[in-house]
Order: sequence, then structure tokens, then C-alpha cells
Amino acid sequence: MVINPSYEQRKRLLLVGILLTVIALVLVDAARGGSAEWSRVIARLPLLLTGSAQGWPITGGFLLNVVMGIASMAIATAVGTLLGLSLLARRRLVRQPAFVVMNFLRNAPWLVVLFAMLYLLPYRLTLLGVTFEFSPLAKAIIGLSLPTAANFAEVIRGAVQSVHAGQWESARSLGYSTAQIYRRVILPQAFRRMIPGWMNLYALLMIATSLATVTGVQEVVTLLRTTLSMESETTLVYFYLAVLAMFFAYCYPIALLARRLENKTKGDSL
Amino acid sequence: MFGLDFTWLLDPTYQGWLVEGVWITLQLAAVSSLAALVIGLFGALGLTLRLWWLDALIELFVEVFRNTPPLLQMLFFYFTLTQLGFTIEDPVTGLQQPLFNAFFSASVSLSLFGGALCVEAFRSGLDAVPKATLEAARSLGYGRWALFRRVQAPIATRICLPGLTNVLTNLFKTTSQASVITVPELMYAAGQVYNDTFRTLEAMLLVLVIYVALVSLLSWALLRLERLFAYPGYGQGV
Repeated sequence: MVINPSYEQRKRLLLVGILLTVIALVLVDAARGGSAEWSRVIARLPLLLTGSAQGWPITGGFLLNVVMGIASMAIATAVGTLLGLSLLARRRLVRQPAFVVMNFLRNAPWLVVLFAMLYLLPYRLTLLGVTFEFSPLAKAIIGLSLPTAANFAEVIRGAVQSVHAGQWESARSLGYSTAQIYRRVILPQAFRRMIPGWMNLYALLMIATSLATVTGVQEVVTLLRTTLSMESETTLVYFYLAVLAMFFAYCYPIALLARRLENKTKGDSL
Repeated sequence: MFGLDFTWLLDPTYQGWLVEGVWITLQLAAVSSLAALVIGLFGALGLTLRLWWLDALIELFVEVFRNTPPLLQMLFFYFTLTQLGFTIEDPVTGLQQPLFNAFFSASVSLSLFGGALCVEAFRSGLDAVPKATLEAARSLGYGRWALFRRVQAPIATRICLPGLTNVLTNLFKTTSQASVITVPELMYAAGQVYNDTFRTLEAMLLVLVIYVALVSLLSWALLRLERLFAYPGYGQGV
């Protein structure tokens, strides 16, 4: 039997090989009692993942990044949908302010928006008799969701505009109202095309949650930096590699899935 | 309005800090954008060679840098490069200075991050050149190099310009994260200002506006470039 792997198979084989080699090296090291550096990292791993040294209760760490990411994405999806639909509005009075807001937020660095929100939002806000308290975590979530919302608005606009203009015309000639055209014709198709962009945005947001360290939230980078101040300098590299690996392990599958979906939806252009 | 107080802006000391910050930001953005474009170009050209092992290595590089936080990359390079302990003698003071300072580490880190994004942008440009165009050129007797130089590269450059605009503006925005490793750029200057004046909100709003203005200018310039070089029918609204 002659095994003749294709180009793609060989490529994937090498990548999987590299991944397995790295895992094997770490495992062999651990089995041998572990080099001093890696055993330090493993000892601190529960702290970095959950924010408490025993791994329970969850007070921060990488899981907090995940929570922040999901909360920001929920807000960003809601705000981004409103903003995206305003971008598509026929009234200039609605469209142009939305356009200015979107461009402003898209052109602002995430870190600077986060900082600005940190100081812009009050500690406590009473609105219509309801008192909102803005903890640093809430401020971080809001600060991260704003640029994401602007990017999502752009995703929505792109997806809606990618639906062929002929569909608008034929739906209108069948007597559909604008709201009906959106609901029954355009959005069902645009929705499919939004999903890859939405997922990519989530991966991007997850990566950006590391910036929340500037708000003093106990997320993984904050913990990493406080942990490192207690560790010897030779172990620094190992700690950084461990946290980088956490983000990679979380974000890469999402990005990969998004690309698969994108390639799948690319075909149906009408 | 809103109790904002910008009177500190009249102080030449603070003006100087902010101008210095903008200057360092521009330097950092320029150095890392150029390096990122070079890395991206070599990466994308490497992919056209169709060597499976090179392809796998480039993909590994791209995915690792795209799927980890640039902030952590920067911290990683800052600590590892300064740990290497290379020093250089300062010609003025005669003191030993670290060879790889914060600015250098930030440039390396941002170049690699931007480079990974650029590889993707260039690759998608090269992929989007219509196969029929290439076949037509081949049937006209173009050799491999001539085909690349006269047909593939000119079309691909134009197709990838919008993607490249995204990458370069993204990279510019990411330079603000260099403040975390004490590169004295705009964000860092803002920190200096508010530590001195306690006008945190005003300093941040000002910096936000400066960044938005700079990034808008950059994306506007790149859009002009895109329009200037556009071939009718290629890379427009696709």
C-alpha cells in the first residue's frame, strides 16, 4: 500500500505533529517530576484560570475573561444591531449620526476607549429612580462592548448590502412593505452571512479582554503580573507562554470555525 | 460643560509631553507598519511557492500571532528581550544601557503581530486574482516570473488594499498598548499629564480624539491610494 498524502494533508500532518511534540515535551517533563519552571507554572495554573489558588470559587482569572467576553458580546450584539440598522435607514437624520458614531468607535483604539469609559462612567448613576452601580468590571464590560458594537454594525451593514438588489425590487413589486422585505426576504439571508463575522468579532473581543487589566479587574493578565512579582525571573517566560497558550486554545477554534462557515456561505451570492 | 476643565492644555509643559507622545506613536507605527509589510510580503510570497512544510510553518506563525492578545505578546517580548541582557554603552554618558529597550521590544512585537495580519491580507489578494486572467496570460506566453510581475502582483495589490487598510489602522491602534511596557508614546504621555494635573477624564478624552483623528487620517489616505490605483472592474465592491 502506497500512502501518498495530498498537499493539504501533509501540511495538516506537520501542524498536528508540531502540536503533539509540544504537548509530549511538556508531558515528559511533567512525568519526570517536572523541571522547576514548569512545576511553578502548574502550581499557579488554578490561580490563573479561576482567580483562586484552589481553583474554587471562581473569582477571576481566565474564566473572568470568558465571562467578560460573553457579557460584552451580548451588549455589543444588541447595540450593534440598532446601530447597524440605523446605518441602513433611509432617513439622513438617522443614518448620518449613526455613521459618525460607528466611525468614531471603529477608529478609536480599544485601550483608549476602555480608559475613557473608566473615567467617564460615574461610580453610581440614578436613572428614573433606579440606581446603577458601576464596578470596574461593569465599566470594563461596557468599555469593551462599544468598539465591538461599532464593528458589528459594520458586519450587519455589509451582510444586508451583500443581498442582491434584485431581491429588493422583486419583493417590492410583489407588494411587500419595507418592514416585510427586511423580515421575510433580506434578514433571513443576511443573517447567514453575519454569523462568520460575528464569530470573528467574538474571537477579537476575547483577545481584547486582556486589556481590562488596566481597570484593575482580576483577569488573567492582572493575575499574571501580580504572580510574576512573586516568581523568580527565569520562570517569567514559562508563565507568559502558558497564558498565551490559554488564549490561543480558546480563540483559534472559534476563528477556524468562522472561516469554515465563511467559505460555506461564500457560494450563495444571490 | 459637564464640568470638564481643559485649562491645563495651555501649559507648554503638557503640550510638549503630548506632542512628544504623538511623535513617538508615529515613529512606532511607521517602524512596525513597514516591518509588518515586509514580513507580510515575504510570508505571502512564501505561500505561493507551494511547499507544504513552508506553508505549514507560515500558517503556524500567522495563527499564533492572530489568536493571542497583542498586549501579552508585547509583555512577552519586553521581558524576554530585556532578560537576554545585551547592553550597549551610551556614547554620551558612558553608562551601560540595555540594547533592547521598551521601544525596540514594542516594535518587534507589533511588527510580528502586524506581519501575521499582513500575510493574510496579501494572501487573500493573491488568491482573489481570477484564474481565467492567469490562464489567459499564460496562454499568451508569459513565463512564471513575468506572469507574477506583470499580471498577478498588480491585480493582487489592488485587490488587497482594503484589507491592508484594515490591518494598518488596526496596527496603529494597537501601538497604544505599548504604553503598558512604558514606551513613552501618546497613551503614556496622557498618563503623565493626568498624574500631574489629576484631570484623568479630560486627558483621556483628548487622547481619544487625537487617536481617532490620526487613524481617520490614515484610513482616508489609504482610501485615496486605493481609488488612485484602482483598475476598473477589480477590487471594487467585491
